[in-house]
Amino acid sequence: MIHVRHLSHTFGSYWALKDCTFSLEKGDFLFLSGPSGAGKSTLLRLLYGALPVQRGEASVADMPLHTLKHRQLPALRRKVGVVFQDFKILPIRTVNENIALPLEVRGLAPQQVVRRVRAVARALGLENHLETPCGALSGGEQQRVAIARAFVMNPQVLLADEPTGNLDTHLSFRLMELFKQFQAYGATVIFATHSKELMKRHPQAKILWLEDGAVRDANWPGARILKAPRHREREHGITLPPPDTEGGRL
Amino acid sequence: MMRTMMRLVRQGFADMGLYPWVQVCTLAAVTLMVFLSGLFLITLVTLNHELGAVKGETAFQVYWRAGSEMALVEEQWGRLKNLPWFTGLKTFTPQQALEELGTRLHGKKASSEKLFPFLTGKNPLPATALVSFAPNEEDTERWLKETGEYLQNLPGVERVLATPLRDELGQAWRKAGRYVMWPTLAFLGLLLGLVVGNTVRLSLFARAHEIEILQLVGAPNWYVRLPLLVNGATVGLLGGCLALVLLRFTFLQVHSLLQFPPLFMEIRFLPLELCLALVALPTLTGMAASYLAVRGDPSRTM
Ligand SMILES: Nc1ncnc2c1ncn2[C@@H]1O[C@H](COP(=O)(O)OP(=O)(O)O)[C@@H](O)[C@H]1O
Ligand SMILES: [Mg+2]
Repeated sequence: MIHVRHLSHTFGSYWALKDCTFSLEKGDFLFLSGPSGAGKSTLLRLLYGALPVQRGEASVADMPLHTLKHRQLPALRRKVGVVFQDFKILPIRTVNENIALPLEVRGLAPQQVVRRVRAVARALGLENHLETPCGALSGGEQQRVAIARAFVMNPQVLLADEPTGNLDTHLSFRLMELFKQFQAYGATVIFATHSKELMKRHPQAKILWLEDGAVRDANWPGARILKAPRHREREHGITLPPPDTEGGRL
Repeated sequence: MMRTMMRLVRQGFADMGLYPWVQVCTLAAVTLMVFLSGLFLITLVTLNHELGAVKGETAFQVYWRAGSEMALVEEQWGRLKNLPWFTGLKTFTPQQALEELGTRLHGKKASSEKLFPFLTGKNPLPATALVSFAPNEEDTERWLKETGEYLQNLPGVERVLATPLRDELGQAWRKAGRYVMWPTLAFLGLLLGLVVGNTVRLSLFARAHEIEILQLVGAPNWYVRLPLLVNGATVGLLGGCLALVLLRFTFLQVHSLLQFPPLFMEIRFLPLELCLALVALPTLTGMAASYLAVRGDPSRTM
């Protein structure tokens, strides 16, 4: 369902992703983990075509991304549901309108749109906010709108970039169950998170550990692990440069 | 498909309410631009008409000898009207000329006996006539010469002055007009298109985020474009119509403003084709700008 081979990505001279190789089958659930800045978002953005493939190969839902034409992007995105780290919801439109967007793009009949939006909104506890403009919602509620919009179209592939980052532990555990349900319906899920707690809620899931843009660890044989070069020192924590005391305190 | 398109068109209208100030500013800018273009065009059209309408109009100033028998002169005036291509005659008897002179000098009307008592019975001014023709001859030069000679040979005529000045300007304009008119119109159209198009494009920046999101959830380009096209077309159409209304209003206020000597110009309103162009051009450029706004893919960044 998702195949990634020797995928690398560079921003200018900075390599955000280095030689990633792994495969997921239909119905797999993958935790994409690693410290902040490891390249999780970069990998996901490559997978939904927001970044062009520069080096290596990748395919999602039987669509090869490295040869994907510009005009094929809409087709890819209709197969892939994405929960964006920065939500990407329209603040001036209502919850209802935001969630309905992927369905309307597909030209679904209005009654069907209403039915599915209601069902998803209820599952995410948004049924009382359907007519509220998203700009008026709290961060956690906006995040749930973003999740609902990815769920509503029942995609074959679901990519979620830290979808519970703004939610309290209790709620994120509940949402975890929804993601698992989604997997049970046959979808392939990639869930980027750095929360060990959350990963414990789904012990059967695959885990890919990214660091400095490279795969440093994985718990299944479908991923190729790159060992960190020995000479590289690991940085621990963040330290401030010592204060300049020569002229005394300001 | 049809239903989706209808919905998108409806949404295009509804969405304009989402960013009212952007729309109002865009509309104002488009209206201003079309209005200014219209004013320029009105000037051009009026000039064109003035210079083109006096086709070959030539006036002859005819002076009779002072002291000529008035009955004879008046009989000749009557005959001038039967000349070919005759369009108008303005005559002054010596008496009238003197009174006119008096009025000019004193600023009020009075009889010449009162003004110039010493001139009674020995008016030194000649009888004059301004005869206008609008000849439509193959050889204008020859006609000019013949008519001048005919007038010169009338009994009692001392001097004939031909004043083809307006005509020369008119002829120059008719020759050069094509080369001036069309490039000017083309340039104005280009300018109008650029300004309107850019204004509409800028107004769509407010919706760049929305365009990105639509593309991210898999909307094909036509789906993203349709509401924006409706938006761009509406702003262009409304701006054009509003500007035309303003132009018409301005025209009604000033159209007789220049009707005084020596200009005697009647300001003309734009012909229907130009009115239509002033509405169609902003509408089309508004649509084109909206179309191009979705050409790139903002969802696909570096
Ligand atoms: N558009 C960009 N331009 C330059 N650098 C970028 C860009 N996007 C991400 N990066 C860099 O790439 C690295 C990986 O980023 P990201 O994939 O967002 O990390 P994560 O999601 O794992 O926190 C970071 O160091 C980030 O600063
Ligand atoms: Mg990230």
